[in-house]
Amino acid sequence: MNGGAITGGDWARAYEHVPYFLSVLWSGAVMTVIVTAGGFVVSIMLGILFAAFRTGRSRVLRGAAHVYVEVFRSVPVLTQLFVIYFGLGAIGIRLSPIPAAIVGFGINGGAYLTEVFRAGIEAVDRGQTEAALSIGMTKLMALRYIVLPQATRIVLPPIANFAIGLLKDTSLASAVAAPELSFNAHMLVDETYLSTQIYLLVAVFYLAMSLPLSTIVRWLERRAARGQRT
Amino acid sequence: MISTQALALAREWAPQLLVAAGQTLRMTVFAYVLGAVAGLLIAFGGMSRRRGLPTLCRVYIEFIRGTPTLTQLFLIYFGLASVDIVIPGFEAAVIALGMHYAAYMAEIYRSGISAVDRGQHEAAQGIGMTRVQTMRYIILPQSVRVVLPPMANSAISLLKDTSVASLIAAPELMMRANDITSEYYMPMQVYLITGAMYFVMAYPLSLGARRLERLTGKSRRIGTDLA
Repeated sequence: MNGGAITGGDWARAYEHVPYFLSVLWSGAVMTVIVTAGGFVVSIMLGILFAAFRTGRSRVLRGAAHVYVEVFRSVPVLTQLFVIYFGLGAIGIRLSPIPAAIVGFGINGGAYLTEVFRAGIEAVDRGQTEAALSIGMTKLMALRYIVLPQATRIVLPPIANFAIGLLKDTSLASAVAAPELSFNAHMLVDETYLSTQIYLLVAVFYLAMSLPLSTIVRWLERRAARGQRT
Repeated sequence: MISTQALALAREWAPQLLVAAGQTLRMTVFAYVLGAVAGLLIAFGGMSRRRGLPTLCRVYIEFIRGTPTLTQLFLIYFGLASVDIVIPGFEAAVIALGMHYAAYMAEIYRSGISAVDRGQHEAAQGIGMTRVQTMRYIILPQSVRVVLPPMANSAISLLKDTSVASLIAAPELMMRANDITSEYYMPMQVYLITGAMYFVMAYPLSLGARRLERLTGKSRRIGTDLA
């Protein structure tokens, strides 16, 4: 451990263990994708629900959505995870690490996406809703068939950006012992003390997942910008 | 959940959290200043004519933005320790968070600078200003309006991200909360109060950021009206 890295001994030792590291990190990466996907789906559902509240007619629901957005955006997601995992656990609601992480990231992400969806809905001209209502659509139908399809183009880039942020944030699930990429990395470091080598490898894993996503974001942003011009 | 005994215990630990909140603010300020300064250097490096420097800055930004803050923090804290460079938790967190935000802030500066019309560059150089003078007197003052709102938003994110420093046992609010939880075993109460403290620090900031957004948005519109 000490001094070994300077002589290169640690790197040689790390090199020997690369296949083992890769297999452990790979299974962690699979779990990272699962937590990200789960958190993403929950975020989207909560985001759409609360955006509907936020733009709706009921004052109570508007207020509730506002409080939800402000509170969950102003508190670190790590604190939220700990409330859900340790806090709820202490009052008898015990979630396993993975579901706890999915719920935590989902509720947190929902607050961000509420604002994204709201911006998207508000960007669609009011006349569109009025026209839909005047031909006899219900409010829900107008939202589903007229407003949301038009808002989609506007909200796609920020949603994709959110997905990248979420992917990286799932590393915090390691703090509630969810066996994802970062957690497996800590285990390997505890086992071998090769912290530099293992965390660099972990960085490569995250890059391999996030860089393709950010290429998609750039493409979506270009497309959205083109749509605005025409 | 709320018994008189719990309240008496809360009176013991709540003040400790308050002190730790002060450390969180201190960490935020240090990391923010580091990020703002390093970010400016990286933004300039990205526009430099020296060969290789823009590429280097680009690679740095992509690396930072493509990996979690946690991984970067561990590389600096545990990674450097393995080559006998031992940095205390608080300082390691300031460096990691500062260098993390530097990448994002470099992008903010870059978009601010590129938002200034090219004609301004050409005019400044046309009257004989050097590149540095053009930046200092013509471009930067005009890009402030574009840069300020996202810079304010960075401060809010940074404040919340300092909680990650608890994972390397750096003294700040979240770490104190973990300590208190293991001492008193009242996780729900402790983490809810901790969350409330973050809210009290972050919410006024986000109100300020929003006001700034409205203000700069309006002044930009007036600007185009006059033009």
